This record gives sequence, structure tokens and C-alpha cells, in this order.
Amino acid sequence: MCDEVTEQKVDITTSVMSKNDRFAEDNRELLSGKGIYTLNLISSPGAGKTTVLESMARFFGPRMAVIEGDIQTRRDAERIEKAGCQAWQIETGGACHLDAHAVNHALGHMNLDPDALELLAIENVGNLICPSGYDLGEDMRIGLLSVPEGDDKILKYPSLFSSINVLVINKMDLIPHLDFDVDRAIEECRSLNPDVLVFTVSAKTGEGMEEFCDFVESSFSTTA
Amino acid sequence: MLPPELNGGFSMHELSLAHDMTRIIGSALGRKVHLDRVNITIGPLSGISAESLRFCFTEVARIEGFGEPDLVINLTKAKLICLDCDIEYEAKDFYQGCPDCGSISRRILSGREFTVDSVELEEGND
Repeated sequence: MCDEVTEQKVDITTSVMSKNDRFAEDNRELLSGKGIYTLNLISSPGAGKTTVLESMARFFGPRMAVIEGDIQTRRDAERIEKAGCQAWQIETGGACHLDAHAVNHALGHMNLDPDALELLAIENVGNLICPSGYDLGEDMRIGLLSVPEGDDKILKYPSLFSSINVLVINKMDLIPHLDFDVDRAIEECRSLNPDVLVFTVSAKTGEGMEEFCDFVESSFSTTA
Repeated sequence: MLPPELNGGFSMHELSLAHDMTRIIGSALGRKVHLDRVNITIGPLSGISAESLRFCFTEVARIEGFGEPDLVINLTKAKLICLDCDIEYEAKDFYQGCPDCGSISRRILSGREFTVDSVELEEGND
């Protein structure tokens, strides 16, 4: 790495994310080698990531496995297991995001049987800022925004919303009670990110979840 | 070992990034020496707060045995392409629209970079 040493100055020219990116490539190679399609689900705390995943767990059953990232507790993994999927909990112990190394470690503990598994969903730590810079080796990055958070959040957190493949707007059942302009949110997300696909759902009532799960399924069926 | 305020209770990704920087510097130099300057490049779309990084790096560098180097940050401009009029332009953040037509509909060409470029050793360390 150390190319040129002058008397005092040492050239380094190394991307700070290079170690993470190497692990991300390893994860991608391992998972795609087994025919497993991987999602990285990012949102603020309380937007409904785990409820969306519970709903997906009921749709996909044992064909899906979940890695849960939280600062502390196994609560989310227990919810996913109850809904019918294998779950592995990463407790970051303070870190505000998952990195590819932590995911790589988790993969080493999971049963990645290629005959049974088709989909791996990684639930990132609830945070709209820090996870955006870390490639975990996913095939699809999903940003989840919930109606109570407000329709102005997309432009406030551009580094995340410019990097996602899919925007899921959750808690649509609350639309009648709140001033959330769905068209504005979608338009602002498309301005940052012209290729983004958008789904509107309520994981609680199930509204829109079947369409979303069908879309996820078609994504891994076409790449398999 | 980090003091408590920089460990459990203080979690932002700039702290992890500061640790990654000292790891990269240590492995490039093959040893821990006091540094005068650390030169880095940050793209405006990298999601990194330069001031948070400076705060974290100053502490992490000192604690890990690299002295108290100045962190010199080269803030680049992002390269974007306007999807309405097709021109390529530079921007200093996510919010700057096309200088020609004002549109903020665009594709990002670059601006997420974050590299450790070089370090300058303290006198007597070379």
C-alpha cells in the first residue's frame, strides 16, 4: 500500500471503505454462489422494518432467512422466528450501523442450505445516516420510510435515499390521520435517484404487502 | 482503550471511520509514529461530516499512538449529469440543481469518495 516514501511524506491513497468493500464482495460471492438473493433494509428506528419482515416471513416461510442488526437485545430475531423464519441477531453493542464484516461473521453461524433458502433479508440498525455508506454485499437496497416520520425526510437524508434501489412507504393505514404527501415523497426520491422503484404498504394491515413480496420474488427468480 | 465517551455512549459512523483510518495508516507505515499531517479526500455525497470526523480522528490518533496530527481535508465536488438537459455539472452537495435548467433530476457520477491520501511524519521519525 505504501508506494512512495520521501523524507517525510508517505503516499497511501487507500479508500477508507476498502476493507468493508472486500468483505461485501466476499458476502456477495458466497450468497450468489448458493443462489441466495440478499436485501439490505434501512430505515429510522420505529419505521416498521421488523413488522415488514414478519409479514414477508409469513409470505416466504423457510425460503427466507433474516439477519437482525440492533444495538442490543434479541427481541427482533425472536419476532422473526415466531413468524416462521430462521433469524440471526447481531448485537452491535453501540455501533450505529452494520458493516460487511459483521454480516460475514453472522453468515458463518447460519444454516445457508441452498436447497431451502432463496432469500436473505438483512435488517440494518435503525438509522437513516450511518448505514448508507456500508455495502453489505446485498443485491437490493431498500429504504423504508413510514408515514408518521413526514414526507420531508427524503431530502433531509439524501445519502441514503440516493443509494437505494427500492423505496417502501410503510404505515399507509395512517394516511387519513396525517399530512403526508405520498406524491411529494416519491417525486423527491426520484429527483435524487431516477431509477428508484416505489411501493406503498401497511405491514400492519397487510395492504400492498403481497405486491411487494411478489416483486421481491420476481427479482430473485429472474437472477437465479 | 478509548475513554467511555468515545466508546459505548458515543456512536456515529465517523468514529468507526476514524478507526479505519488509523488502521490503514498503521498498516501502510508498518509502525506507529507521531504524525504532523494526515491528508484525506472526502466527496460531498459520502455522508461523512468533516467536523465530526476531525473530532473523532484527533482523539483516536492520539490514543492509538500517532500523536496529534493536523487532519487536512480535501473536499471534492460531486459530478452529476442532468437528466433533463443532459449536461454534466459539478456540485458541492445533494441540493445543487443543474446550472443550466435548474432541474434536480440527475444521475450521480461521483462524489462518494473517501480516501487516506498521504501522511507527513514528525521530524526525527523518518
